Amino acid sequence: MNNIVILKLGIIFFIIISFFWLFVFGPFYDSIVTQLVVFIVVMGWNVQRFSLTEAITLLKFCLPFVLSLFIFGLIFHFMQLFGRTDWLEDTLIKCLVFPSSLVFLKILLTYITYLDILSLPISMEKRIGLITMKSAFQKGEKILRRFSWYLNTYSDLQSGNRIKSGLQKYACLIIALYLYLYEEIENSNRLLKNKYHHLYEVNK
Amino acid sequence: MEIRKGKYRLENRNLNFDIVDDLNFNNSGGCFYFRGGNGFGKTSFLEKIIIPALKTDNLSYLYIGQDIRTQLYTLRALLSIQGFKVSDTDEVELLRLWIDHSQSASVLILDEFDKYFPDYGFIFDWSDAFIRTYIIVTHREMNCREAVANHHRICNARFELINIDGRLKNIRVRNE
Repeated sequence: MNNIVILKLGIIFFIIISFFWLFVFGPFYDSIVTQLVVFIVVMGWNVQRFSLTEAITLLKFCLPFVLSLFIFGLIFHFMQLFGRTDWLEDTLIKCLVFPSSLVFLKILLTYITYLDILSLPISMEKRIGLITMKSAFQKGEKILRRFSWYLNTYSDLQSGNRIKSGLQKYACLIIALYLYLYEEIENSNRLLKNKYHHLYEVNK
Repeated sequence: MEIRKGKYRLENRNLNFDIVDDLNFNNSGGCFYFRGGNGFGKTSFLEKIIIPALKTDNLSYLYIGQDIRTQLYTLRALLSIQGFKVSDTDEVELLRLWIDHSQSASVLILDEFDKYFPDYGFIFDWSDAFIRTYIIVTHREMNCREAVANHHRICNARFELINIDGRLKNIRVRNE
């Protein structure tokens, strides 16, 4: 059982490393057509594995990053900063690479189950740590949509300049998510450790 | 704001609302109660029908959802970007700060707020000065609700969500 799990995790990490080596840091990074195809395939995989709504939420989450990247790229392109004339192309590649690598990583990591973590030949303390991380990030992903919904009800974030309120909303989303993950990780970790120690002591 | 009588379908929640009477949330000041069994769609009714109607009418509102613990993270974030120090602030103080700085709102919606704060009169104390319409979803008995509202001299109107075909699908909304 242990060996199968180790093999499974090994394959997952091999695929992740290969993806980053090929498309993020390696030979296909410069090809905008390849990046576009990778983006479409990864997004399609995400829709198939989760849902269209989930994919849209994730894209919305990436949008401000991608948009600001694009705007800066555009400005640099027209300024011909450092004498370079390829700013626009480079920016477009980055705008595709960022969401595809994020979504790819997310999809691959969801193939690691709680049972896999429990079967790993590591100390219980470390297993609890990994389980806590997995559980918190899974919850965090689901909660993003709800946070976004609440933020859309706050009039302070709707009034005035659209760009300004959009950025403020985004900042709130990130802070809320951070606070949530921080608290959630702490609480789940405490709970799991407590349960484990209780059961361990009872069995002893 | 008025929600006209008629049938409203929420496809993704598999709910049909049959609003038997026009729901008139007049602006002259009032407290409107919604009640109904678990799973009858009270929260969906608030979030998918009432809140969009408020947005359409451009009415500024405050909504405290049933999952208040989740909402508090967003309030903490909102207040912190507005310059408030909220790191050691408890949840009641957070709500007070938010309500206190949202005086442009004229509608306050509470979704089962009494589940967390059984005696929620403090919300009225904080908001009486600028909130004209309260929309409240509660499971509590009538006398408790009236006690809260009467204490704050707010007139009552009540609506009831009723499951009419036993499958939790077709919900009738009527004046109680």
